[in-house]
Amino acid sequence: MSTAVSVRGLRMSYGAAEVLRGVDLEIRRGEIFTLLGPNGAGKTTTIEILEGFRKRSAGEVSVLGTDPGKATDAWRAKLGIVLQNWRDHARWGVRELIVHLSGFYDDPHDPGELLAAVGLDEQAGQQVGRLSGGQRRRLDVALGIVGRPELLFLDEPTTGFDPEARNDFHRLLARLAADDGMTVLLTTHDLVEAEKLAHRTAILSGGRIAVCGTPAELAQAVQAPSQVRWLEDGREQVMTTPDPSQAAWELHRRFGGPVPGLEIRRPSLEESYLGLIGRNV
Amino acid sequence: MNARALRIGMKRGWTEHNHLLRTRKELLGTLIGTVGVFAALTLWMGDSTVEETGVPTITFMMVGFLAFTVFGTALMTFPMALVTDREEGTLLRLRTIPGGIPAYLAGRAVTALCQIAVQSVLIVAAGVLLGGAPLPHDWFTLAWVLLLGTVATVPLGAAIGCVLPSRNAVGVATLPLMALMFTSGVFIPVTLMPEVLQWTAQAFPLYWQGLGLRAAFLPDTMLAAEIGGSWRLPYVAAALAAWTVAGMLLAPPLIRRVTRRESGSRLAARQLAAQRS
Ligand SMILES: Nc1ncnc2c1ncn2[C@@H]1O[C@H](COP(=O)(O)OP(=O)(O)O)[C@@H](O)[C@H]1O
Ligand SMILES: [Mg+2]
Repeated sequence: MSTAVSVRGLRMSYGAAEVLRGVDLEIRRGEIFTLLGPNGAGKTTTIEILEGFRKRSAGEVSVLGTDPGKATDAWRAKLGIVLQNWRDHARWGVRELIVHLSGFYDDPHDPGELLAAVGLDEQAGQQVGRLSGGQRRRLDVALGIVGRPELLFLDEPTTGFDPEARNDFHRLLARLAADDGMTVLLTTHDLVEAEKLAHRTAILSGGRIAVCGTPAELAQAVQAPSQVRWLEDGREQVMTTPDPSQAAWELHRRFGGPVPGLEIRRPSLEESYLGLIGRNV
Repeated sequence: MNARALRIGMKRGWTEHNHLLRTRKELLGTLIGTVGVFAALTLWMGDSTVEETGVPTITFMMVGFLAFTVFGTALMTFPMALVTDREEGTLLRLRTIPGGIPAYLAGRAVTALCQIAVQSVLIVAAGVLLGGAPLPHDWFTLAWVLLLGTVATVPLGAAIGCVLPSRNAVGVATLPLMALMFTSGVFIPVTLMPEVLQWTAQAFPLYWQGLGLRAAFLPDTMLAAEIGGSWRLPYVAAALAAWTVAGMLLAPPLIRRVTRRESGSRLAARQLAAQRS
């Protein structure tokens, strides 16, 4: 089976508020997939439905071949989950907690190797409550993968990280995914993160998947129109076009030579993304 | 419930108990809070005796503290721990793990048992060594009353912990328990109370727990201060058993409801609310 997650027509309402209005997703085994969207788009809602923590209003959902609404322990053992804002088990030792939670699985990672893999061997004896934010999140990842999950969920794992910690975290995830052939679903509101980390990304906006694809496909799909400016009749002229090169060529022909004050501005991917979610929200 | 989850859960409870022993704040809270107060009381009361019985007041108080320790740990400390675990995401973490919830519950129960055991031993030790109170003359009654009293109240505590919306609400829930403490005859003989309060007290497990423990420690000369002039042990057993059944029926659906509702966004919303306040 090459599909890890399959979602069709997923809908979710909180009372009268419809947060998801027909989400379709297909995540392949072994890929790192990001779900990108602004705050409040419904990323946490979506991921929690997939994790079996939340009952959907409508739609078909299959996670590793099972409907998350009918979660069993055997199914749960194949998932790893890293949530936003965890502060639990503050009194436990780092290693003590990893050893404790590894006991629940049939073939867990060796706690020592895992600590080394996430760069916490020096903190092994420390209390969990005393870890820094970045260390805490790396511990959360270690706890998420301790049972060798087939599918790892991460909900905005790098929120609040400085750029260096974020880079380290991306490298860690990429390595873990490559080593174990694990499928990873990560949510983020940061386009740059999605672009750097993911094999494929889906943009969640307006309760639907607006665009889905590889970083290159994404760039092409969301590319907002460029602006072409020039001087004519003593005034600045502006034209908005999806094909600025064609526009410049036509201007050259009209002027019969150089175009005065010609300027072409292609919006960055980030600007395009903001435009896209602005349009759909 | 699978055997592995149960085994890990019991180990978990023991580990958490040791964490509590190593946490200064907790240690001071429980040790000074109950055992310390009792030890001070022991020294302060000296040789006074309960009127016309020749029984040292301190023996009566020791039994009261013992009963209240079980009651307080099961119905105040234990629910408080459940609420804290919910607020910090411990419950949610265990929910992400196969077999995590049964293990969690087993662990919490074991921790509560350890706390009750440690405090009971310390209270009796303080009473005997500092206050010259006698050891129980009826060990068998002591054992079954303590055990049944614990089994009767821990599921109730779990139910309370599931119903409390937040840690702030724990204080409110403590008030009726405090009222119960003073009317249940564990510190003030129940026959000194108005009849209405006597009947109220007998509806709750604390009264019966106290009565059974007094039967184990006090001589029959104290029976004058009891309702009906008897230890009424069959009633103690029946009342505590009834509360056990009630707790066992009440707790599981509430626990299921609370764990089913636990999710990352609830946790995030709670933390946001806590930051704002
Ligand atoms: N339990 C809930 N009850 C009511 N509304 C909710 C609940 N959880 C989320 N929402 C609302 O649903 C929307 C999407 O939330 P969420 O899935 O957390 O978005 P994201 O994770 O993308 O920021 C928000 O408007 C939020 O307020
Ligand atoms: Mg979210």
